Amino acid sequence: MSTVTSDTHSAAHGEHAHASSFLKTYVFSLDHKIIGLQFLFSTLIWFFVGGMLALGIRWQLAFPWRPMPILGNLLATAEGGQIAPEVYTMLVTMHATVMIFFVIIPVLAGAFGNFLIPLMIGADDMAVPFLNMASYWVMWPAFIVMGMSFFVEGGASQGGWTAYPPFALTQGDGQFLWLIGLTLVGISSMMGSVNYMTTIIQMRAPGMTMFRLPMTIWAMFITAILQAFALPVLTAAGFMQLMDLKMGTGFFIPEGWTTNNNPMASGGGQPLLWQHLFWFYSHPAVYIMILPAMGMVSDILSTFSRKPLFGYKPMVYSISGIAGLGFIVWGHHMFVSGMNPMLGMTFMVSTMMIALPSAIKTFNWLGTMWGGKIQFTTPMLFAIAFVSMFIIGGLSGIFMAATPIDIFIHDTYYIVAHFHYVLFSGTAMAVFGGIYYWFPKMFGRMMNESLGKIHFTLTFVLMNCVFFPMHILGMVGFPRRLADPYHYETFRNLLPLNQFISYCAFALVASQVFFVLNFFGSMFFGPRAGRNPWKANGLEWQAPSPPGHGNFDFQPVIYRGPYEYGSPEVEEDYYPQTQPPPDKQEDVSQ
Amino acid sequence: MRRFWSVLFLLVPILGVATFVAAPYYNIWFPKDVSEHGRTIDNLFMFILWLTGIVFVATELTLFYFMWKYDEKSTKTPVKFSHGSHALELVWTILPAATLLFIAIYQMEAWASAKMQPPDMKPLVEVTGRQFNWDFRYPGPDNELYTEDDIVRTDGKLYLPVNEDVLLRITSLDVLHSFFLPNLRMKQDVIPGMQQSMWFKATDTGGYDIVCAELCGWGHYKMKGRVYFLPREKYEMKLEEMRREQNTMRAEIPEEDDE
Amino acid sequence: MSDHEHGHAPQLEYQEALPISNGKTFMWLFLSTEIMFFAALIGTYIVLRFGAIAWPSTHDVHLAEIWGATNTFVLICSSVSIVLALEAAKKNNAASARAWMVLTLVLGFVFLGIKMYEYNAKFSHGVYPQHPHSQIYEKPDVYYAQAVRIRLNSLAAELKNNTERTPEQDAQLEVVDDITQKYVVPAETAMRDDPDSPAGRVKIFEMADAIYPRASVHEHHGGSHAAKSRQGKFSLAATEVEGEAGDHSGHSVSGHFVGLNDEHPWLKLPIMIPGGNMWASTYFLVTGFHAIHVIVGLICFVVLLGMTLDRTKAGIIENVGLYWHFVDLVWIFLFPILYLF
Ligand code: HEA
Ligand code: HEA
Ligand code: CUA
Ligand SMILES: [Cu+2]
Repeated sequence: MSTVTSDTHSAAHGEHAHASSFLKTYVFSLDHKIIGLQFLFSTLIWFFVGGMLALGIRWQLAFPWRPMPILGNLLATAEGGQIAPEVYTMLVTMHATVMIFFVIIPVLAGAFGNFLIPLMIGADDMAVPFLNMASYWVMWPAFIVMGMSFFVEGGASQGGWTAYPPFALTQGDGQFLWLIGLTLVGISSMMGSVNYMTTIIQMRAPGMTMFRLPMTIWAMFITAILQAFALPVLTAAGFMQLMDLKMGTGFFIPEGWTTNNNPMASGGGQPLLWQHLFWFYSHPAVYIMILPAMGMVSDILSTFSRKPLFGYKPMVYSISGIAGLGFIVWGHHMFVSGMNPMLGMTFMVSTMMIALPSAIKTFNWLGTMWGGKIQFTTPMLFAIAFVSMFIIGGLSGIFMAATPIDIFIHDTYYIVAHFHYVLFSGTAMAVFGGIYYWFPKMFGRMMNESLGKIHFTLTFVLMNCVFFPMHILGMVGFPRRLADPYHYETFRNLLPLNQFISYCAFALVASQVFFVLNFFGSMFFGPRAGRNPWKANGLEWQAPSPPGHGNFDFQPVIYRGPYEYGSPEVEEDYYPQTQPPPDKQEDVSQ
Repeated sequence: MRRFWSVLFLLVPILGVATFVAAPYYNIWFPKDVSEHGRTIDNLFMFILWLTGIVFVATELTLFYFMWKYDEKSTKTPVKFSHGSHALELVWTILPAATLLFIAIYQMEAWASAKMQPPDMKPLVEVTGRQFNWDFRYPGPDNELYTEDDIVRTDGKLYLPVNEDVLLRITSLDVLHSFFLPNLRMKQDVIPGMQQSMWFKATDTGGYDIVCAELCGWGHYKMKGRVYFLPREKYEMKLEEMRREQNTMRAEIPEEDDE
Repeated sequence: MSDHEHGHAPQLEYQEALPISNGKTFMWLFLSTEIMFFAALIGTYIVLRFGAIAWPSTHDVHLAEIWGATNTFVLICSSVSIVLALEAAKKNNAASARAWMVLTLVLGFVFLGIKMYEYNAKFSHGVYPQHPHSQIYEKPDVYYAQAVRIRLNSLAAELKNNTERTPEQDAQLEVVDDITQKYVVPAETAMRDDPDSPAGRVKIFEMADAIYPRASVHEHHGGSHAAKSRQGKFSLAATEVEGEAGDHSGHSVSGHFVGLNDEHPWLKLPIMIPGGNMWASTYFLVTGFHAIHVIVGLICFVVLLGMTLDRTKAGIIENVGLYWHFVDLVWIFLFPILYLF
């Protein structure tokens, strides 16, 4: 059956190459693949921006108050390149905002979600392509609004990405723009997630039952549900903060609050209410930032272990479990916030319990590799790195979930270590792996393996050098968001360690050159990939590379799940989802 | 090259453990603990460190072993065509569940004693965070806050008795701050308009850092204080001295706490 | 799906899924996100209300059950009429569908009209969610007395500077002076003589009550003015309008009491409502976002009315109808929590 037409590689696009439709085809495209790639390119650019901001942070921590070369002049002209304390806080705020809301969430849901969902379930596009396009095109305004905030009076928001009032309310226009940007991002995610759910529920190829979906799709589906139910709460909270900021309402303003010694007339609001609303979204959001990565890793691990995924259904249930439990653990960010300590106890128990589905997943990944024939391709290496690093990040979560310990390590670098291990060493590795893995499908060409492995090795080693010592910093009590901690007696001796971390961080960013070269080089000069370069089972590998308009040049019919590697039923070690079983061969081959 | 990747991943547990082993020798470790329940917290931390350390080493070694053993080039047998195992799933659900529940219950007492069972006494000091300083108000001889004889200090130095239960009342004037005493393993966010308490029992004399651990503005990094633990007699002498100082100062500036 | 004329992509078939159209699935999922949005808003309302030290009763802030109930009724009717429009469209009866849609649209406007009237009733009393306009003070304290004094002084100055005063304005000036003498000066003296004594607060309280008598104070203390004075605690200047047909007809139904601000609308004196600012914040927050949803619905109706509402449009009408039912449902939650409890 795989004899259908030669590789059409965007024949549909070629026909439309005349100028008037260039905009329609590549810019305001309704095609989920183009939108996915637009998301991918944009998020890479934003990733670069976020990385630069991180360098600013690392510079200040390694060389406090010394003028920063190049970047310093851009960011802090007034001080001659020296990072002022308020600029440091802006850097931290914007670093986190960009990384979370403009890199990790949109690259997972926007880029991979868009590109993969229809291809992996056998749809010709998303259910509502127009909203899909809109969800991309509000991202840029959002980013520009955020970027602009550096140039307004008072500079960008200094509230931290958590924007706790009442401090956030003392921020001027920077905070205002931050909230606007956040709302726009929220709108984008909203449109995306409802679209994904509809598509996955309604537009699966014949035979693609829910339990034949690849893990990536399951993860995207559950993520979309999380988005849909958690995000509106943040949007609502954001509007309230906006009103507090600009209209003089007092939702988060405590009774008798003064700014600049002026009593605010309105009062009776509750600062902690913001924290509850914020974390009600942002805890599920951290799972939004990892579930799709887990899904992608499951697919990659199975493909390159040449072995079925270990425990498919437990994996599905554990993802759902994480999502469900994710709604009742938000309080673990607030153990020392002044929340009722009794609540702290219940949140501790629920937080401990959420490690359970993660444990199931981890062991199933190990089970997948057990007894396989592992091919150490670049995507596989990144996927294994994800597993290895997620264990570290997850286990450090246990310390913080334990309330008495969190009293000490809350708001120290222990937390910073934890979330960089899950976010950068975890999710970002899965994203790299996903790019290396699906690049052939996206552009019809292979990426360079040697460059890929150099990129992997450097990234893997350096990121551990950057983030692992942060655990130790945290144990000393080294606080987060502190422009210059060294004047405290307790932290004075930590400067050398911080310098080591910073050197490694600079090297880490520099080593991404191999990725950039590889990515753009391979787009034009890579060897052509066939439809199925990895000999994988997934439906997306049966479509042309890159797929044309409408994705499939045949009517896909699904006969089995996506992980039948090494099946004794067939000669080859893989068994594509669309390949009819031997006895049914005839009735489809027309 | 063939085994390169597995060995690279083997470095993770090795260097990971090595970091934690080496750190104390470089004196980068918990700051000196000077409180009773600080020991509890350190012990709990070490307990979880051991527990997760074992899980960490075990899983990472398994990962390494699988990479080493099931490398495509060296594996000749066909792959195990297995979709999973109910028995195993059960094992690795129940084992972690039991462990985690145990950890949770094991922590509760320490939490309760640190945050839920204040000693039965009047607060020794009221701590007020404001951008960007810690102010301290001692109740004075009558032991009541907000009376004539209160002693108000804005120099960021807090004096407390050692080897005694101490109860602090903490609050904030403007935005969120967090009263963090690394050496006592104590931290509490303060919220304007809300009263929090903190209690502990210091076990050693000396001066220690007070850190603000909640982002509160450009001066967050320098919102520093010092706490001094003194033996009872010295503590009372210090109080007396501060009272005298305050009385002389009051003659000049009527309202000291208004800055 | 998409209407591309080219390409080799076959028209794809799909696995059987939910027996409803994509559009309807989308709408249901979208509405579930909307539920969370309003859940957050209503949750905020509940948390703030029960965490507040004081909360005004509905009549203190000019909320009249009757209007809330009318609006509930109006929305329920509109939900019925849009269902009838859908039924008609399904029968391919475009004219009738159109008529029902028009009715729905009109009902929607009626809802908004009443809402605007209600908002206006609040604005005209100085109950605003936002600062420069809000006249609400929370406590009968010096700040409040000061604010009243400032307003009176500026009124007096304005009137006095006016050389060609009309007789009407002369009367106004007299009123201003009267109020100053009768309420403000005693309060100020009392406060000055003994800042910590309750006497000053009582005086300010009396002033606040004269300016803006809160229903809850009067109702809770035994209803009538007479009973009040006999208790001798406060002598309240307010007169009850209930039953008095004619003047202030708008408020008579709601059991509203007439204060100086009502007698002389031009006064616009600051008012004192404990918890009033937070009430205004939350009230305008929840009803405001609900009103925005209503407006979006009305826009959809207008767009629909531009089409021929035959059978082919039944799907769209159904989706818009789902949305409208949701908006209706939200109001059914808002009405009791805002007006009744
Ligand atoms: C992708 C993102 C991501 C993920 C997946 C997680 C996962 C977890 N997180 Fe994390 N977290 C963040 C991102 C994430 N977190 C961020 C960004 C912050 C900081 C926000 C801020 O303040 O700025 C944060 C903060 C944070 C806090 C608040 C700390 C504080 O501020 O004081 C806590 C506290 O409980 C916590 C706990 C956990 C736990 C228990 C998990 C669990 O889900 C982890 C489960 C996984 C494992 C446990 C490992 C694998 C399992 C095994 C190998 C089995 C055996 C294990 C045992 C028996 C223990 N996280
Ligand atoms: C996804 C999330 C994410 C990611 C990836 C990162 C990446 C990094 N982060 Fe950060 N970080 C956060 C999320 C993230 N961070 C959050 C949420 C906070 C908390 C903020 C707060 O307190 O409010 C934080 C805070 C934070 C701090 C604490 C500051 C403080 O509290 O004082 C530090 C300090 O070292 C830091 C450092 C770094 C470093 C060195 C990296 C490096 O790993 C960065 C490396 C960057 C790259 C590798 C990018 C390279 C670019 C490409 C690959 C694309 C190239 C393509 C083109 C050019 C087209 N981060
Ligand atoms: Cu005070 Cu940070
Ligand atoms: Cu969390």
